[in-house]
Amino acid sequence: MNHLTRRQLLRLVSVGVGALSIEQLLAACGETATPTSLPQPLASTPTQLSATGTLPANTDNTPIEAPTPTEAMKALMTPTASSKNTLAAPAGKSGAKYMVVARGGEPEVLARQAFAALGGMEAFVKKGADVIIKPNICTAYHTYEYATTTNPWLVAALVKMALEAGARRVRVMDSPFGGEPKEAYAISGIADLVAKAGGTMEVMSNLKFKKTDIPKGKAMTSWAIYEDILKADVLINVPIAKVHSLAGLTLGMKNLMGVILYREDIHMNLGQMLADLASRINPTVTVVDAVRILVDHGPTGGSLNDVKKLDTLIVSKDIVAADTYAASLFGKKPDDLDTITAAAAMGLGSSDLSSLNIEEINVGA
Amino acid sequence: MAPDRVSQKAVHLHWRTARKWVQVLFFGVFILLFIGARRGSWAPWIINLPMRLDPLTMLANTLASRSWLSSSLLALLTLLLTIILGRVWCGWICPLGSLLDLFNFHSGKKRVINPAEGWRLVKYSLLVAVLTAAIFANLSLLVFDPITLLWRSLSASLWPALDTAVSAVEKTLFAIPFLQDPITAFDGGIRPLVFPQTPALYRDGALYALVFFGILGLNVFTPRFWCRYLCPLGAFLGLISKVSIFHRQVNESCKSCGVCAANCPTATIDPNRQFASDPGECIVCMDCIDDCPRQSNTFVAGFGMARWNTYDPSRRQVIGLIGATVVGVALAQSPVDPNHPQPHLIQPPGARENGLLEKCIRCGECSRACPTNAIQPATGEAGLVGLWTPVLITRLGYCDYSCNACGQVCPVQAIPPLSLADKRTEILGVAVIDQNRCIAWAQHKPCIVCEEMCPVPEKAITLEKPPSSDGSPIPDRLRVPRVLTDQCIGCGICEYRCPVGGEAAIRIYSVKWHGSLEAKELLDTPETT
Repeated sequence: MNHLTRRQLLRLVSVGVGALSIEQLLAACGETATPTSLPQPLASTPTQLSATGTLPANTDNTPIEAPTPTEAMKALMTPTASSKNTLAAPAGKSGAKYMVVARGGEPEVLARQAFAALGGMEAFVKKGADVIIKPNICTAYHTYEYATTTNPWLVAALVKMALEAGARRVRVMDSPFGGEPKEAYAISGIADLVAKAGGTMEVMSNLKFKKTDIPKGKAMTSWAIYEDILKADVLINVPIAKVHSLAGLTLGMKNLMGVILYREDIHMNLGQMLADLASRINPTVTVVDAVRILVDHGPTGGSLNDVKKLDTLIVSKDIVAADTYAASLFGKKPDDLDTITAAAAMGLGSSDLSSLNIEEINVGA
Repeated sequence: MAPDRVSQKAVHLHWRTARKWVQVLFFGVFILLFIGARRGSWAPWIINLPMRLDPLTMLANTLASRSWLSSSLLALLTLLLTIILGRVWCGWICPLGSLLDLFNFHSGKKRVINPAEGWRLVKYSLLVAVLTAAIFANLSLLVFDPITLLWRSLSASLWPALDTAVSAVEKTLFAIPFLQDPITAFDGGIRPLVFPQTPALYRDGALYALVFFGILGLNVFTPRFWCRYLCPLGAFLGLISKVSIFHRQVNESCKSCGVCAANCPTATIDPNRQFASDPGECIVCMDCIDDCPRQSNTFVAGFGMARWNTYDPSRRQVIGLIGATVVGVALAQSPVDPNHPQPHLIQPPGARENGLLEKCIRCGECSRACPTNAIQPATGEAGLVGLWTPVLITRLGYCDYSCNACGQVCPVQAIPPLSLADKRTEILGVAVIDQNRCIAWAQHKPCIVCEEMCPVPEKAITLEKPPSSDGSPIPDRLRVPRVLTDQCIGCGICEYRCPVGGEAAIRIYSVKWHGSLEAKELLDTPETT
């Protein structure tokens, strides 16, 4: 028998590796060459998605590139032209507001007006900044109408705004606990809209979870945290407001659970541990997505009966204040939530809304 | 090819070279299909090609399941090829055969230890046993089918091992600062093409490796030891090759130099019979044509039945084997039946109602497709009858609420091709909380991970105030989990994520199933992709 020589074997192996890289190249080309108009979850997989699988043509959410840009631009130029203060800002504080709550419009318009009131995205994202957006993409189970994952139009709007402000790159990532990241990204609709907005979806790599000291931590002094989240110039935390049986609600601080390893293990003292995490991760700005909120059976959801549409956005540098306001949407007081109590006690932010300069914008009015 | 070899045999068509490239091509395709068989990759009918082209698994499945799958007709292609050309499948196509050619330890002048010719009977015996057992609805012996064997070894052992090795190298190199970017690019770009997003963990990976390397190791004795003496598929195709149209013939120009006999990978060329060979043993590698100095070795067309050799099974042997197999099947009966379910036999969605054991060909495609690696080959859970059939190990993975890949890829519909909506309501088992281990119940500490994870829209786990049994103070906000048995689908994410170390405090147990028309109707109308 004459058989394969070592040289032949090596040659074949290199051909194989070459073919694989070409496949990747081709796949990459295909992705940008044929953008689809709406998020199309799992079009080519063996999985058949039934009722929840395809995104219905929604009436209340305009696709991001569709009708609103001019209106949004107008809003950008004159921040308060179409807005109405329902809560008077404390006198003497005419500068950028502490927290903005925008209601009654498309996610992109809400985001643009809210950020405009805070001094524009430029106030957070400097030219050449490396930006990470952390939405809540907890599972691959349901599409956005089920309010289990962050609104894709909102995430895409933030990507666009960060790029307009001069960001070097904008990455979007989360680590789902149910289902695979890529499927979850696709089903949430976020993958598609983010790609179109010019951002990149990143699947979190196991290599980059590093044991990190948490100097201010009371219940945890170190934990495995995703390195890039800590290294990024700007971290935009975009939780969707949902109920959660232990945390009470899953909001800004709870959303940070997606950037650590061994999440199951922090439930025994969840409130303090989430506050500890927030003290270390310290997002640049928190945008609470209350376009739709999940009022029961969270965080996984799955029934439209549990979804309430509020068309509301809460934006603040102060994660505690943002969470506190979001909690009020569910009729909860700060004391009801261990996370908020713990974080306020650590001085991470303010849970006393009455002392804050909050601007409420009603976009629809 | 090196130039000296070309000049030596410039007049010849190099069968050997052609064959090697064909082998490389088919092996490459097999590996590509394997890689593409992860959920979310290629269409099931493409991934299924190797299994469906395998006539042994298709015939055994048809016999055991007593049902006809039109897709198994593809195996007729292989049979047709064999009737025309002989065991080309073995010599040119079979990926395991190609691997055995690659791991040939007899390249130099190393001595070949040929066992007695009678050993060839083993593979025919195995074939008779496989088919007889299949008639009695037992497919355990399909673990010896080369295609399923290779696929299973790859998916449950070799690929995870490779994954571990690559991860280790990545981790090591990642520590070097200037390599971090290229490693990250590799980890995010190339690696996901080949390996699962979450590293696969399989029980008993070494067991499958042992079988696999054992087969390769037998090559120490003779080239293609497995194909000569053991392979039941080879035996099947060999019996058909007895009547193949093209077969080898030695013409008068032969001067009995013996080169062909010395080089024959299956040692079927017999110097004592004028260098004639047995078409049932010949794998049509064409080496004899390349090597013959006088062009005495030819392949000619003709009809007729090749002679029956001493090692071919006699009628008496066949009858004896059938008897022995029946006894074996009876002895191997294990108490796996709906009324006495094994507590930890959690089968893939819909498989239990579908009679998985009588259909499963043990290929491991479901296990390969499963994104969480919950599906693993059963070692003890399903008894001897169910050896290496799929079982969900819910501590190692869970049934993903957004996935129905296993049923889609199953080449024989042993796992029914349920739509995602149907799969979501399919009951795999039921979760049971061990209150002595549960953090909330036993330690009165807050933990609701199982409830948080439960994917059922209305939640199959509720939280309630714990009863104060022993008078110890219970924190005001403490809630303990309770399973709503009638809501639970047994997906196992609660067990998988349970933070209790070692055995989870919530486990999935199998449930009784008495059969229902509803489930049957479901199977009769499979959704198309």
